[in-house]
Amino acid sequence: MNRFGWRIAILVGCALQITGNQLAVAQQKSQSSFVNRAISKSQPKMAKVFGASAGKVEGFATGIIVSKDGLILSSQGVFLDGRQVKVVLADGAEHIATILKRDRETQLSLLKIQADTPNFFELSAESVGEKGDWVIALSNAFKVADKDEPVSAMLGVISLRTTMEARLTKRDVAYRGELILIDAITSNPGASGGAVVTPDGKLVGIVGKIINSSETNTRLNYAVPSPVLKAFVDGKASVTSDVKPVMERQDVEFGIVLFKLGGRNNPAYIDRVVRGSPAAQAKLKSDDMIVSIAGEKIGNLKDYAESLKSLRPEEEVLMIVKRGVEMVRVRIAPRLKK
Amino acid sequence: MPGKILYLIVGGLFGLLFNPFAFALAQNDNDQWKIDESDSAASELSEVELIEAMALTSRAFRKAAGRVAPSLVTIESYGGVSAVQGRIGGIRKQGEGNTTGIVISPDGYILTSTFNFIQRPPVISVILGDGERHFAKLVGRDDTRKICLLKIDGKTDLPVPEMLDESKIKVGQWAISLGVGYGDTSPAMSTGIISAKNRIGGRAIQTDANISPANYGGPLVDIEGRVLGICVPMNPQSQAVAAGVEWYDSGIGFAIPLANANELLERLMAGDYIRPAFIGIQSGPNPQGDGILVNKVNPKSPASRLELKEGDILLSINGNPVNDMLRLKQLINRFEAGETIRITVKRKATGNDEELEMPLDSPPANATEPLALPKIR
Repeated sequence: MNRFGWRIAILVGCALQITGNQLAVAQQKSQSSFVNRAISKSQPKMAKVFGASAGKVEGFATGIIVSKDGLILSSQGVFLDGRQVKVVLADGAEHIATILKRDRETQLSLLKIQADTPNFFELSAESVGEKGDWVIALSNAFKVADKDEPVSAMLGVISLRTTMEARLTKRDVAYRGELILIDAITSNPGASGGAVVTPDGKLVGIVGKIINSSETNTRLNYAVPSPVLKAFVDGKASVTSDVKPVMERQDVEFGIVLFKLGGRNNPAYIDRVVRGSPAAQAKLKSDDMIVSIAGEKIGNLKDYAESLKSLRPEEEVLMIVKRGVEMVRVRIAPRLKK
Repeated sequence: MPGKILYLIVGGLFGLLFNPFAFALAQNDNDQWKIDESDSAASELSEVELIEAMALTSRAFRKAAGRVAPSLVTIESYGGVSAVQGRIGGIRKQGEGNTTGIVISPDGYILTSTFNFIQRPPVISVILGDGERHFAKLVGRDDTRKICLLKIDGKTDLPVPEMLDESKIKVGQWAISLGVGYGDTSPAMSTGIISAKNRIGGRAIQTDANISPANYGGPLVDIEGRVLGICVPMNPQSQAVAAGVEWYDSGIGFAIPLANANELLERLMAGDYIRPAFIGIQSGPNPQGDGILVNKVNPKSPASRLELKEGDILLSINGNPVNDMLRLKQLINRFEAGETIRITVKRKATGNDEELEMPLDSPPANATEPLALPKIR
């Protein structure tokens, strides 16, 4: 369809909709929207979690109910480290929780209260939601809601489903699993453990702890996906961990000497190629600038050193170098460092 | 033809979302989170139908992103990027990731944000939509709009996205920001509306879609995938090179519209380096009335060349009264270094009002030679 047709279709569609809506408004003034319904359905499954605070670190978080007998999923945090953890349900009832387990890598915790919780989120083993889908984030960010007050709702879309390198703040380890980035702003104190749901109330994931993207050095707004939550609650080994099996590392080399003047942030220019080395066989030359190795960008000398650590002897990789204004691709296998 | 029907439904949905009556529908009453069963039973559209309608908007978002995707490029820089640790100009340092650019001509001109080039990387490469990697040179730069122009050689058929004329952009319309800054090959998407037009000396449009280092240099598109502008960090109160980054993901974001910017683009293609205007006074409110009080005059600045002195009162710029510092910044923002303004000053020494022509300069921190092209050793 051409662009013109597209616009006409929109105009016609709008016109039809306006007439239709006016009728609908006249007939049913108090009709709630679908977003309102998703929020309404989700609020009874939310919990406010309070515990110890330490200095500037907040002693509160959000949690979601994940079983009919009082299992509550939340995030890790100092609020779990005090004498007791208090859970406030949507009706305002307060319960003392026991900590069943906590996981360092996914930064999740599982709490249990002695209460029936008929309203709970089903944890899906399948991923829920794709890029562009509307999502509603529910959390008690900044401890805005008290007692039986509903937690705060925000509307956004899924920005990206991705696995990326992200940094948790301070001493925590980096989370390496899949993240669902959303454009509702959830990276705020107390929001972690909140629910991210679709307009039909399905759980996409829970709001994760505040982390930074090492790519952009900005705070990420994201959800830890439902399958990861399910694996954690069901007690399976961490499914998100892509930690490579520990192998004895073997130092490798290409036979390249780089320009070392100017520090580790300089681009990786080749100063000299060692005679008879893999680099010499690949016909690399002095003054070539290494751009990428095995698909990883080599921005500077530091990246080059890091990249070598991940390579194995005699395993061929693609290296891209810049020669003058040309981009040259070579296949090259590093050798064991002598 | 099912395609047409789909568009009709999508169109209807836009109607729903832009229709004031629809907003009335969306307003919550005071029943908190309890479901009013009588209410939902009475609803005309079933929940399933409403959810399907919502899913159609999402589909439209994805389609819009898909339309502009072939013109998005990933920009990598080598060296220099992580050279500055800690903070740059009061903001946290840049991340280590790639940034986004957008093709604006079939022969390889690419626009991006200057944020990516604060630290002047010696080598820049561009990965095109088809995965091909090319070296780029930095051709021109406009620090008043925080954009810069790159050029790659050897291409003649790059896909150029459709640009929407700024006069056709309406406050309240959908806006989708896109960028590859998070390091994934697929761009991250954030949606919102156009919040305002004619911002920052008329150079920028404002949106509540998230704008951050993840999409600086990337496009802000409408629901049909037409480019509304290039996402940039901006702050109307500061001309600092990284100003505006502190507002990332805040709901206050800016983009530079380009559909009518041929003159500007020609200047950038010719290698121009456009810099913000600077007059060189430190000033405060005038306790005696109109205008602002000159507290200090920077040496070798436009103000010192006109022999402005401490105690003089700046009354107007090009006929526009200046009554506070914010207004002064807003007025100065409309100009660039090299342009001439007309100021009215009440001299402390004589008590007379004088009208003076003032050729504008750029702030001293930026007063260096135009950015050198990438050096190849």
